[in-house]
Amino acid sequence: MGSLFGSLNVALQSLLANQAALEITSNNVANANTPGFSRQRPVLTEQPPVQIGSLLFGTGVSLSQVQSVRDQVLELRIQQETQHSGQLDSQVSGLDQIQALFNETQGVGLQSALSKFFNSLQSLSTDPTNLTLRQNVLNAGQQLADAFHQASTGLTRIKSGIDQTVPQTVSQVNQLASEIADLNAKIASSQGSGQEPGAFVDQRNEAIRQLSNLVNVSVIDAKDGTVTLTTGNGSALVVGNQTFGLQTQVIGGVQHVLDAQGTDITTGITGGTLGGTIQVRDQSVPSFLSSLDQLASSLTTAFNTQHAAGFDLNGAAGGNFFNPTTTAANFGVAITDPKKVAASSDGTAGNNGNALALAALQNQNIVGGQTVTAFYANLISTIGSQASDAKNQQQAEDSVLQQLTNQRNAVSRVSLDEEAANLVQYQRAYDAAARVFSVINDLTDVTINLGK
Amino acid sequence: MSLRINPDLFSTLLPALGQDRQRVNTALAQISSGLRVTSLSDDPFAVAGLVLNQTESDTAAQFTQSIASVQARLQTADSSLNSIVQALNRAISLGIQGANGTLSDTERQQLANEVGTIKQQVVDLANTAFQGKYIYAGTAVTTQPYVLDSTSPSGVRYVGNNSVNNVQVGQSEFVPINAPGSTIFNGSGADVFQALHDLVAGLQSGTGIPAANAELSAAFSNVNLQRTFYGNTLDRLSAANLNLSQEKVTLTQQKTDLVGADLARAATDLAQSETTLNASLAAFGRISQNSLFNFLK
Repeated sequence: MGSLFGSLNVALQSLLANQAALEITSNNVANANTPGFSRQRPVLTEQPPVQIGSLLFGTGVSLSQVQSVRDQVLELRIQQETQHSGQLDSQVSGLDQIQALFNETQGVGLQSALSKFFNSLQSLSTDPTNLTLRQNVLNAGQQLADAFHQASTGLTRIKSGIDQTVPQTVSQVNQLASEIADLNAKIASSQGSGQEPGAFVDQRNEAIRQLSNLVNVSVIDAKDGTVTLTTGNGSALVVGNQTFGLQTQVIGGVQHVLDAQGTDITTGITGGTLGGTIQVRDQSVPSFLSSLDQLASSLTTAFNTQHAAGFDLNGAAGGNFFNPTTTAANFGVAITDPKKVAASSDGTAGNNGNALALAALQNQNIVGGQTVTAFYANLISTIGSQASDAKNQQQAEDSVLQQLTNQRNAVSRVSLDEEAANLVQYQRAYDAAARVFSVINDLTDVTINLGK
Repeated sequence: MSLRINPDLFSTLLPALGQDRQRVNTALAQISSGLRVTSLSDDPFAVAGLVLNQTESDTAAQFTQSIASVQARLQTADSSLNSIVQALNRAISLGIQGANGTLSDTERQQLANEVGTIKQQVVDLANTAFQGKYIYAGTAVTTQPYVLDSTSPSGVRYVGNNSVNNVQVGQSEFVPINAPGSTIFNGSGADVFQALHDLVAGLQSGTGIPAANAELSAAFSNVNLQRTFYGNTLDRLSAANLNLSQEKVTLTQQKTDLVGADLARAATDLAQSETTLNASLAAFGRISQNSLFNFLK
């Protein structure tokens, strides 16, 4: 013996459950292309049975949970790889700018000016008293100085350009961190009241992914459903619903990143675009600039020494040809009077001995045990190799990220076919439940009118 | 749950499409620029090699230029020496005439005058300048090397120096580009001006003519001997030029090997990658836009 009213209730439960399932399906379809969205499944559970006499009767169905289908391990992996990918992206971008300054395949760089300078001395050696040839030597020296300046200024400008992006990135980081803290609060309170915080978790994952693109973060799950984010050398960024925003401060002419307590964590920023930018700014550029300075400085010293060993057109001993300097930015010709070029090795105006000796410096090991040409060639080969390595790594990383994303999509992404099938399924069940309701209703009517 | 596939086809196909396009672009860029390497990162070691190669090419071009300017000067020197040799020849025949004992004082005086004129001619020729620089002055090229000096036994004094300038015309090849006047005209026992001076004196006085003739002969031989310097040096310069031409050809080939595009290969790459791209695009277009929704009534 069942109960008609019991059956009515069961039918009602079914209507409600299937209606809810339809809502979930409709939500999935609406969010089919939302980034970070994980498809949701209705979890339908059988209501506890009730005993009537010696028989157990089921009491219907209920929608106990709206479950998000996601693989949290995959999400974490994607976040980690995104850190590496962001770092490589900004490294490649910086190195591309740098390598453009020395693109000898298009004739940009120092090779042409270096050759021209030494060749002007060879020319002078054929006719040492010729004032035009002497002036040419000064002009070629000036052109070499211009080339050094362009390269040096170029590097400095790139450094300051990428330096300026640091505060912007840090403020984006802080914004995302505070979003995550808000979501933490919402998730904690939903979980506290026993609900599945699906959409919030999706949004938080997406925010963490975007944050990972900017900076290296460690994600630690806390028991209350919130995550703790730390960056740098363990400095807290988000704890529960609190944000510990990063700050920037100019120290030694460049932007340093400080945590909320004021500790300098710049050297701990190793991932994301911020990490890549800091690496290019603090390691790549200074290293290349230092090599360029070494080239300028060694050339200046060796050339001036040989120049001083010779005599100018007036028979006086040679003075400094280049301004004594240790940097490429300050490289320059010290002489303006063509007569002061010390071409002679014995004081006679027409002797070309010193001009030959000066020209011969091109093939002597005057910079770090190498000739100027070999040293320069090595420098640009180093720059090119760094750029090429970064690009290769970037490609590999893109491929890994693509694969992980595909895997994630396989798990979490909405399949329209699937949702269509579900739609039919729930609709049929709803129809059937409505039909049952209708039948039971008639029966109830009959029952009520039995005694009439 | 059974194995579920990634429902998002576009996210897997779009990157592949991007790569196809990239290959087409790369092949096109190679063909249009003729370069396989257009940035440092394309091939860092090739670009390093390019720097060395280009520097060698620039140096070879400079050597060619140096040779050209030296050749001009040497040719001027050689032709002025030619004039000097002719003048000395004339003086020698005058001397031989003067040795004939049958000449009268007046006739000998006439000969003396002509030899005197020749001497002045030779002094002027020995002071030849090329583009304003005296070619027989050693390295003291801004000062006239031969001056008239009555205190000198020959009446002419050399005020240049004995230095020689060298010019580089090859990697380790240096060529002297001048012969000092002292070597050519003031050899010991073969001093041209002394000989001419003595011949004039001899013709005027009527004695010592054979001795003067012998002196002149010796001086003349020396000049001819020293003159070979110019012929030899010009030959060396021609040979150096030939080497440089050959070197330029080698360097150009080396440059192509380093950074030049293999056009045949690039054209093939272009055809292949275009085919792949078109196939990908066609496949893309045929991806079913249908889902189950289209079939539900």
